[in-house]
Amino acid sequence: MKKTRRLSLALWCLAGIYLSVICAGFVAPYSFEVQDRLHPFVPPAKIHFFDSSGKFHLRPFVYAVRSSDENPMEYQEDHATRYPIAFFTRGDEYQLLGVFHSQRHLLGVNGPVRIYLLGSDGFGRDQLSRLLYGGRISLLAGLLAAIFSVTLGLLLGSIAGFYGGRLDDLIMRVADLFIVVPWFYLLVAIRAVLPLQMEPAATFLLVIVVIGVVGWGRPGRLVRGVVLSARERNYVLAARGFGASGNYLLRRHILPSTWGVVLTQMAVLIPQFILAEVVLSFLGLGIGEPVPSWGNMLAYAQQYHVLVSYWWMLLPGLAPIPVFFAYHVLADSLHARLQSVS
Amino acid sequence: MTRYLIRRLGHALLLLWGVATLLFILLQAAPGEFFTEMKLNPQISAETIAGLRTQYGLDQPLPVRYIRWMGSVAKGEFGYSFAYNIPVATLLWPRIRNTLMLTVPALIISWFLAVPLGVLAASRKGKWPDRVFSAGTSTLLALPDLLIALLFLLLALRSGIFPVGGMSSTAQEEGWWKSALDTIWHMALPVAALVVGSLPILLRHVRASMVEVLNSSYMRAAQGHGLFRNSLLYRYALRAAANPLISLFGLSLAGLLSVSLLVEVVMSWPGLGPLLIEAILSRDLFVVIAAVVFSTIFLVVGNLLADVLLYTFDPRIRMQ
Amino acid sequence: MEPLIQISDLTVDYIAEGGDVIHALRNVELQINGRETVGLLGESGSGKSSLGLALLRLLPGNAHVTSGKIEYRQQDLLRVDQKELRKIRGADISLVFQEPALALNPVLQVGLQIVDVLRAHCKMDKSQAASETNAILRQVGFAEPERIARAYPHQLSGGQRQRVAIAQALVCRPGLLIADEPLSSLDTVTQAEILELLRQLKQELNLAMLFITHNAGLLASFADRIAVMRHGQILTCGILEELRRTPDSYVQEIISPAKIIPPAMTATHSNGKPLLQIRNLSKRFQQHQILTRKKFTIQAIEGIDLTLHAGTTVALVGRSGSGKSTLARCCAGFEVPDSGEIFLEGGPIQKLSRQTRQQVQMLFQDASTSLNPRFTAEQLISEPLEIMAWGTKLERRERVVKSLQEVGLDPQTSDRLSGEFSGGQRQRLALARALVVEPKLLILDEALSGLDIPLQATMVRLLLELQLQRNLAYLYISHDLSFVSLFAQSILVMHEGRIVERIGPGNNFQGSSHPATQALLLASRSLHAPGLPLSQ
Repeated sequence: MKKTRRLSLALWCLAGIYLSVICAGFVAPYSFEVQDRLHPFVPPAKIHFFDSSGKFHLRPFVYAVRSSDENPMEYQEDHATRYPIAFFTRGDEYQLLGVFHSQRHLLGVNGPVRIYLLGSDGFGRDQLSRLLYGGRISLLAGLLAAIFSVTLGLLLGSIAGFYGGRLDDLIMRVADLFIVVPWFYLLVAIRAVLPLQMEPAATFLLVIVVIGVVGWGRPGRLVRGVVLSARERNYVLAARGFGASGNYLLRRHILPSTWGVVLTQMAVLIPQFILAEVVLSFLGLGIGEPVPSWGNMLAYAQQYHVLVSYWWMLLPGLAPIPVFFAYHVLADSLHARLQSVS
Repeated sequence: MTRYLIRRLGHALLLLWGVATLLFILLQAAPGEFFTEMKLNPQISAETIAGLRTQYGLDQPLPVRYIRWMGSVAKGEFGYSFAYNIPVATLLWPRIRNTLMLTVPALIISWFLAVPLGVLAASRKGKWPDRVFSAGTSTLLALPDLLIALLFLLLALRSGIFPVGGMSSTAQEEGWWKSALDTIWHMALPVAALVVGSLPILLRHVRASMVEVLNSSYMRAAQGHGLFRNSLLYRYALRAAANPLISLFGLSLAGLLSVSLLVEVVMSWPGLGPLLIEAILSRDLFVVIAAVVFSTIFLVVGNLLADVLLYTFDPRIRMQ
Repeated sequence: MEPLIQISDLTVDYIAEGGDVIHALRNVELQINGRETVGLLGESGSGKSSLGLALLRLLPGNAHVTSGKIEYRQQDLLRVDQKELRKIRGADISLVFQEPALALNPVLQVGLQIVDVLRAHCKMDKSQAASETNAILRQVGFAEPERIARAYPHQLSGGQRQRVAIAQALVCRPGLLIADEPLSSLDTVTQAEILELLRQLKQELNLAMLFITHNAGLLASFADRIAVMRHGQILTCGILEELRRTPDSYVQEIISPAKIIPPAMTATHSNGKPLLQIRNLSKRFQQHQILTRKKFTIQAIEGIDLTLHAGTTVALVGRSGSGKSTLARCCAGFEVPDSGEIFLEGGPIQKLSRQTRQQVQMLFQDASTSLNPRFTAEQLISEPLEIMAWGTKLERRERVVKSLQEVGLDPQTSDRLSGEFSGGQRQRLALARALVVEPKLLILDEALSGLDIPLQATMVRLLLELQLQRNLAYLYISHDLSFVSLFAQSILVMHEGRIVERIGPGNNFQGSSHPATQALLLASRSLHAPGLPLSQ
């Protein structure tokens, strides 16, 4: 059916994207911090199959770029040497998954020249590589924050719904506090509570915790609703009649009925939280230099001259689009399945 | 009705107080304060700093500071800004006005577009207007709000038609009509960015609510009685959909307020957003709390409004 | 004389999402004459509702008419254009649905909804429409039509809502009224009232009617002809006497469901000591009114005395709110009574061990809510055994298979999700689950009320068989006095929390004095429900 095909396409897409960013070291041609001050704001490389004399080459190649003498901001190709694109080239060293050291990259160019497939930024750093490394930060932060948030919501919501009474009132009042504030405002405010200058690893963890804490309110309320109604169902009553303990009821009847809500919330929140990390980094409250995140990369695009002249600097803003699309398809199909079961 | 409103109002005030207090406690516990920067500056003596701290009451214990702040709130000042050295309220009012100038028109425009389009898509479910609708909203929905704001900024820069940033370009002496037009000209792109950002999700929800109503059994019964198609759609379906749609109002306002922070920062609109960011970076404590609380007030007022509308339109709520 | 409606060779298929095709109607032939009432009798899934909807082309989107004609006034209703169809709907042919609450728009006043129908078909100004509305409301039995017209649906009771729906359907004086199970959602006394109303209106307005139901008793003195449907086909059609003489056993059973329950099974088997004894039981509930903050108490049950012996059935009958459910829940241990005592086999129920408490099991009204939709049939039935940590996995499985066979379900289906079973099958699953712990007392809290009458009878037959085999005692709660009189040894009538009448075995209701009982009796009589001797 068309719907399931869309869903599996979306899931494959997500898997591919996440895999690429996790193995950013390998997939990216260069490291994210190596600068080349001689080549700032180089436009994306033109890939050729035909050389200047009109000869066809099977392997695509690029030319080196040099800034022209009249206008240092313009670049011209130097047709003297061809640099074919190669696979598994040697390049900057990196650590794969924090364990393996390697110098092999998926693709690149052999020679002293750097290939800027998606252009370079103001410091001459390769945008493609930075996009991949940045994606790792933004996508993982979003994912982990969503897991944290939904888990917190599941925990507190279940307790509130199952035990009811005063505890329920208290937890829901606190949840309301988190729901009632417009959420970007709450996000930056809670971020403000914590130290502003920290090293990147700590900041990453911090950002995840902050986003997760800010967002637990709605999943918490939803889970509580499901637990509350499940608790009153006749089949729970019947099980109680057979002598079932509270733990049994939670485990066998009540918590399974929350899976639908939990999964749907995850699919809805992950894109939202990816955006949250991007926004925080954009505003200077998240990951900072030199570690790239889509947010702090986009911050450069705020400068007018960059925005107008160098369109490839907006790519970090376009990068989330396929990810969001895939998550929305996922969320829709989960939602539809939830409706049909109830 | 008044009793209902009063109860909701009381509940809202309690919530606001909770948010403010929570933030107060959390921010006080945060490391670093406004004067930390100053302390690093060798040119400013320790005595000056100590004097400033006493002046702002920063040397008092937490409960005392809290009570003093509450007093300031009661007076309408909402504390003092360290950076600007004026009562926070004075700083805030123009910003609040500016943020409202963006969000209220954006809200109205979004709803005016979403309801007819959503109703159209729902009534022609499965046929081509609906398919176009779904494809369009899915695409727009996947665009990050940050990108939308930046693209509009790009549009301003490239086209030269719209001003870039700020609220006004004219001098103060111009007539009010010219100033008003000028302001609208400045508002156009930020409002457009807000609308584009919040429209897709609203469209989807409107369509979903309408589809649910149109599938309900009382619509089939009404059709069975031979009512005219238009009458069915507007009198019956829309009336019945009023409840879920009004409940949506609060959600859409929340989303809009959130995104406005971003749009204001990117497009240099002097609203609450940029002020909040500035205050966070400089640790201007009371400004931070007041900005967050005021943004919450908008949301709360919006929700109250929705409650009142719901009360008016849904007889079932009235009877409770 | 030409028939009003002539249905020829009508075949309708439903296409489900997965692509499965369900044949809802197969080559249906039916004729309805002017001023005639035709009863359409069948169980759920027989296609009777689809036939009613097809007449007005109100079938859902996934239904396809693959053949047939519906002739009305020289037109084929299946092929007429939308404009004509709109004119016919509501003005020439009208429909009354099963659940009036669902058929009325919850946010509009009911008067307006009637006015809308009027103005859709006749040119009228506001005041004319208003007076017509009041007139029809008066005709359906409202003494204060103006007050009712201003009310919203949720402010009216079930019976009142159905009257409004009927008013809506008849306000433009159609020639044919299609009533699709119009009484099913109402309690017995209200059912009788509405049936009487329809009988009256039939006469006053010269209506032809297609009355769709699963309850043959309603049609006995109401329909001129009866058509029996099964699996989308009309098995037979004719007057009641003819049908009583057909050889077809299915038709026999659906015409007289009482025949399903052989009287031999209902003989008393009491032996000495009572299984359940209740003395002076009372329970109050506190309720808060949300806005005024007043607390008021509802006396749910008061001063109840009850005795139940093994192998017998005691029925508790009463209208909604009479306290029957509360009493049941107290017996099952779900509620703690405020005063009085409950003894199970001589011991007070609170002091009993968990094991002994298992001997009382309860079956709820709606099987779909008492079974977890995510569980398979096997998981459902073995759950009580799992909770009590009884036996090994293999032993449990054997018990499950035995249980399924006992209730008439195929053990091969044990790995299907409970949601995939039909309503009647789900109730059997619930029964199997209750029986697997070998209880002595089974409380059925309106457990069969939602099922079709023939299915109710079949289930009762099964229950009686099991009662014989296992010497079970049943506490059967219902609102249908006549139905329980088919098999209960004693009937207790409840009214406003008290037991107002006890009808013992062999009693034929002659001495009944309490008005509540009288009301129930009267209702049953006019509904000509099976069970009660018609001479009473």
